[in-house]
Amino acid sequence: LNQTKNRRRKWDIGKLIYMDNLSPNECIKRWKGEDEQDEDHESDIEEDDESFFTKKDGVNNKVKDYSADLEKFVPYFETLDKLMQKWSNVDQIQNRFIGAPKLKSKKT
Amino acid sequence: MSSKPYITFQGSQNFRLRIILSTLSGKSIKIEKIRSTDLNPGLKDYEVSFLRLMESVTNGSVIEISYTGTTILYRPGIISGGAHTHNCPPSKPVGYFVEPMLYLAPFSKKKFSIIFKGITASHSDAGIEAIKWGLLPILEKFGCRECALHTLKRGSPPNGGGEVHLVVDSLIAQPITMHELERPTIATVRGVAYSTRVSPSMVNRMIDSAKKVLNKLSCPVEITADVWRGENSGKSPGWGITLVAQSKKGWCYFSEAIGDAGDVPEDIGQLVAYRLLEEISMSAAVGRNQLALAIVYMVIGKEDIGRLRITKDQIDENFIYLLRDIKKVFGTEVFLKPVDDLNSDDMIATIKGVGFTNTNKKIA
Repeated sequence: LNQTKNRRRKWDIGKLIYMDNLSPNECIKRWKGEDEQDEDHESDIEEDDESFFTKKDGVNNKVKDYSADLEKFVPYFETLDKLMQKWSNVDQIQNRFIGAPKLKSKKT
Repeated sequence: MSSKPYITFQGSQNFRLRIILSTLSGKSIKIEKIRSTDLNPGLKDYEVSFLRLMESVTNGSVIEISYTGTTILYRPGIISGGAHTHNCPPSKPVGYFVEPMLYLAPFSKKKFSIIFKGITASHSDAGIEAIKWGLLPILEKFGCRECALHTLKRGSPPNGGGEVHLVVDSLIAQPITMHELERPTIATVRGVAYSTRVSPSMVNRMIDSAKKVLNKLSCPVEITADVWRGENSGKSPGWGITLVAQSKKGWCYFSEAIGDAGDVPEDIGQLVAYRLLEEISMSAAVGRNQLALAIVYMVIGKEDIGRLRITKDQIDENFIYLLRDIKKVFGTEVFLKPVDDLNSDDMIATIKGVGFTNTNKKIA
């Protein structure tokens, strides 16, 4: 396991961003280390599927996959169920709040 | 100027931002292949409407659209501002048009005072409260204090009938250089739940369910009910909620959603509350939907280094598109370096301003 980690090159996001030959999607993937096809066989297959269905669009398919471009104002969120699970307790971000004593009367 | 007469972009993404960047930089741009492989190629009606709006707030802009609408050439004029009325097409809400105006408004010759008519809420574009409580505070941070968005009438989709008034009174020469290296601490959570032409109980149900989620937090939560009725409530029934988490220093994170026919108000209230928590966890100084505005303002700032803390989650495809477009137009790169804190994955985005000055404020 350690070996694979070493083999993966650590990408500098600052450089990746301005590599125009890479699509933003690929940049993110490389940066997060998800680009190794050999290991990530599953995602590879998925990608193949996708490209199979949208191949005709050529250049445009990545734009289309990428429906959430800046023209869309509301950012991407997980589904409600996942969010509920994640935030069933708020300890993770509790440090972001000023710890004021909770007012009982606030509960309406 | 550069040897090339214009900067060329491809594709329909980031359309408004590209036009805005071009206007701010004074460089001509050409956008090709706008939905060229689409069944319905070329510019959409709302994009043309946006171009018309740009035409009316600038002086001397030249816009050439090819016969098929897949290529456009834009030669920017100067930002003149003034009082206008813009009728937004039913395909996009007013937020779609107000949002890009915020990039230009402080740098115009005359004060911006534009009335936008149309739909005031939608699923994918900025709502009125989102702009008021989410984006205007960002402008304030960059030195543009007197800006306001007045809601004259609300108009829910699909029929609309709303009216908002954008007033930007402070004209500044250039934005203030930003230094925000900390994650701001949130002091309060506020919110507005509104309804048009439906029972006010919907509003209260949304508020209750949102509060149920947010009561876990150790900060006060206030959500206002805003029920619109009569003539000012537009032509369609609708309801929605916007939640904003505010820090003492004026940073804020927000989330919003609107209800469709068949949605249960409790679900929407809950959804928005959870989304707010998620957004807070993903943001450092600004939320994802405020990032573009903040970055652009930093780029056009003084010739000085501005710094803004961002999180790893915020570096997504949007962000890359944004930075690439900025580099193409302004030639400025954003440097990202990790923060000194070992416990944190955050980055500091360091940007050297291009030394843009409001052309109308130049003193000889």
